[in-house]
Amino acid sequence: MVLYNFKKITVVPSGKDFIDIILSRTQRQTPTVVHKGYAITRIRQFYMRKVKFTQSNFHEKLTTILEDFPRLDDIHPFYGDLMNVLYDKDHYKLALGQLHTARNLVEKISKDYVRLLKYGDSLYRCKQLKKAALGRMCTIMKRVSPSLAYLEQVRQHLSRLPSIDPNARTLLICGYPNVGKSSFINKITRADVDVQPYAFTTKSLFVGHTDYKYLRWQVIDTPGILDHPLEDRNTIEMLSIMALVHLRAAVLFVIDLSGACGYTIQQQAALFQSIKPLFANKPLIIACNKTDLQPLETLPEEDRRLLDELAKEAAQTSSLMLVDGVQEAKECLLTMSTLTDEGVISVKNSACERLLQHRVEVKMKSKKMNDVLNRIHVAFPRVRDHKERPPSIPEGVLAKMNQTVQPVTRKQTEKDLENVNGGAGVYSASLVKRYLLADDDWKNDIIPEIMDGHNVADFIDPDILLRLEELEREEDEREAAAEGEDDEMDEDDLGPEEMEALAAIRKKKKHLLEEHRRKKRTADNNPIVPRKFDKDQEFSAGRMGRHLASLGLDPTLALERARSRSASRRGRKRDRSVAVEGDSMDIDQPSKRLRSTSRSKSRAPSETRPGEGFKDSAQKMKAMKIGKKAVFKRNKEARKGEADRTIVNLKPKHLFSGKRGTVRSSYDQWDPLLVMEVKFMFHFVRYKVV
Amino acid sequence: MATSKFFCMGPVGYRNVAKLLGGELASWAQFENSSEIGVFSKLTNSYCLVAIGGAENFYSTFEAELSDYIPVVKASIAGTRVIGRMCVGNKKGLLLPNSTTDQELLHLRNSLPDSVVVQRIDERLSALGNCVTCNDYVALIHTDLDKETEELIADVLGVEVFRQTIAGNILVGSYSVFSNRGGLVHPHTSIEDLDELSSLLQVPLVAGTVNRGSEVVGAGLVVNDWAAFTGIDTTATELSVIESVFKLREAQPSAIVNEMRASLIDSMT
Repeated sequence: MVLYNFKKITVVPSGKDFIDIILSRTQRQTPTVVHKGYAITRIRQFYMRKVKFTQSNFHEKLTTILEDFPRLDDIHPFYGDLMNVLYDKDHYKLALGQLHTARNLVEKISKDYVRLLKYGDSLYRCKQLKKAALGRMCTIMKRVSPSLAYLEQVRQHLSRLPSIDPNARTLLICGYPNVGKSSFINKITRADVDVQPYAFTTKSLFVGHTDYKYLRWQVIDTPGILDHPLEDRNTIEMLSIMALVHLRAAVLFVIDLSGACGYTIQQQAALFQSIKPLFANKPLIIACNKTDLQPLETLPEEDRRLLDELAKEAAQTSSLMLVDGVQEAKECLLTMSTLTDEGVISVKNSACERLLQHRVEVKMKSKKMNDVLNRIHVAFPRVRDHKERPPSIPEGVLAKMNQTVQPVTRKQTEKDLENVNGGAGVYSASLVKRYLLADDDWKNDIIPEIMDGHNVADFIDPDILLRLEELEREEDEREAAAEGEDDEMDEDDLGPEEMEALAAIRKKKKHLLEEHRRKKRTADNNPIVPRKFDKDQEFSAGRMGRHLASLGLDPTLALERARSRSASRRGRKRDRSVAVEGDSMDIDQPSKRLRSTSRSKSRAPSETRPGEGFKDSAQKMKAMKIGKKAVFKRNKEARKGEADRTIVNLKPKHLFSGKRGTVRSSYDQWDPLLVMEVKFMFHFVRYKVV
Repeated sequence: MATSKFFCMGPVGYRNVAKLLGGELASWAQFENSSEIGVFSKLTNSYCLVAIGGAENFYSTFEAELSDYIPVVKASIAGTRVIGRMCVGNKKGLLLPNSTTDQELLHLRNSLPDSVVVQRIDERLSALGNCVTCNDYVALIHTDLDKETEELIADVLGVEVFRQTIAGNILVGSYSVFSNRGGLVHPHTSIEDLDELSSLLQVPLVAGTVNRGSEVVGAGLVVNDWAAFTGIDTTATELSVIESVFKLREAQPSAIVNEMRASLIDSMT
């Protein structure tokens, strides 16, 4: 995970290139042909487009540059100060500021000239205006070209900076020049830093990575530092100081015991004292290098005392942040020789260990810790029974584990065979090669899958048929047992009334079923008849009476009420007269005339009546037939009467989609009646009615 | 060698050599560019099943380490290569889903020793490897498994069977791996659950991940009592936890709370 990636900043072209790029893009990507004969609006449009296009390209390109370069206030202070040291913060900000201003100026120029172009009255004027606009834009870019050149240099340098993660586990190596810092990093990582026998070989920060306790550690090699005031330090030294200030790392202060670097121990101790404030809150180790030239034991007395003092101070700074216990001074003073590798690993390990301890202590206090507590817990089983559950490891493995020296022979694997025999995709390994059979000759036998119409695999067990028989017998028995238990109701046990009810139910059921089937079969062609006119379902008093009677209820009251409420709300005259007569009424001989008798006795429709104007029933029948025929079509179309000329769908979709003939295309101008004709023609053709 | 573009096994060979020193081992492996090796292989104390791949690299990783002691068998189940998720087995037996073909069954019966009972079972949940997980003594199963299946597991594999979930997941086979010596479960398993599961299984348990933070430990790791194979993405920290809890190379589970505690805390938070 790289938080700070400065390698992806786009290249910043020089001022001249910048202008060339933009202008050639305008030339290539906008129209190039214009005539003075064109309408003036078109000419203006042509040039305005050029001006606007150029401006937008400038804007886009400058914006990319402004966004790509890191803003010093937003990035980690380590990188912020590093960039300040390397590129001078003021210069950097000024350069970016100039580009920002240039972007705004270009925008303003474009706006002005587009406004002027609106008043251009000839091709020549318009062209001159465009030329002036582009010229001014380019002048502005020419003016910022030093900034562009500077930013390009910054970009190149930034992209070569080592990718240091300021929050990772870090070891920081510092000390006087030439004391063996780079040799040390070369020993513990694969950084491959240049080592030479003169001061300031390392001129910038270098990063390597190493492993300790399954974790990855970032090791940073810094340029040497001289002992003088901060103001006098050069850029190279300042890099080291910045790393010391901002990185929360374990610091290794390397001291050359032999003085071969050209500085005495006193000088090195003085440096330690002067940069001591930078070590606060960091695990600190004093690594005495070059013990091959000058062992610690034979060091002069006063040098030894100086070192002990340093160690004591290092222990003090480290102890401040330790919660438990005091750091021992001698733990902070370690010796090593990067020439003979002696002590190098122990220095690395103790530095890593100290930093790890420090980091863990900080993390233990954070809230995140609760989420991972379960992962540093090993659950050991409580004994629940006294059963032995030993591991089962083959003898061969155990024997091999007990061998102290492992044989280095490597046996031939399938992969080796594959490589010899043509590689992947060509070599096809035999699946039967490792079969465990009684006789090895059987390995390649072809086993039939189907034999005598049976799947061979079904007969893997020799006694399968016997067992199948057994199972079937068992199932039969179970079925027989089940049969005895459940008794169905018998019709013989029913009483006469129940029989009747059953018959009625069956009849009704049959009727409903038939009705349903009939309707279903003819549903497509049946006209939809309103219930009012449906013989079987109409709401008639008679039907209601019959239904109520069939349910065993007396329908008279309901019928009376229904009739009294029909048509006029007043009720019927004759009913009112009934009330007077009261109980004296005889049921068998009703004195009043029933409603049904107000109509003449039942007669066929064909019967003629005087005044109807028919000669005889035959003539009436004929007339009725003609009448019915006359309304048949109308009814079929579901029209209310002759006057109903509604066209439900004026523009039927199927007549208006797809290819059409050339004759008439505006169907909507047709006479609606004609449309109707056409529609019906289609209809009839479709359903083969004609 | 005509290198297949699906395989990238270089580091495996290198790391294998490094890991072989103690006789017991933990190896990195990869199947056709996938590091979910638990999907494509099944490892028990008496046999190892490996999916049939385009090349022999994956098979040979297992073959090189195991074939001196137990049969390493190339197999397919129901025509698929995801054999690790389809079957469940231990030292005593191997259970296969109903969709296994007769030929595959025959091939497995021929390849495995007679002491291993190979049985095909009628179970609606056919990915047995996801629904069941076991060592030679105890099995955890999916809560919805049939009663008959439960009995078959107990009979064929000779284990005690418990219906359990792991950190709220019903797919016990995907989220846990255990041998007779230790076990690794879903990283979100609470400490109480860990203790309960550990008492059921009678092995030390740790909550952890494989393959650089993957929660599906069943897919990233295959293990038996003396060897473990993990996906190639597994980090050094994860691997050291695995080695410790499965007691590989003389490591002990207590190392996780003692020596490795600091690095675990630093790498996880």
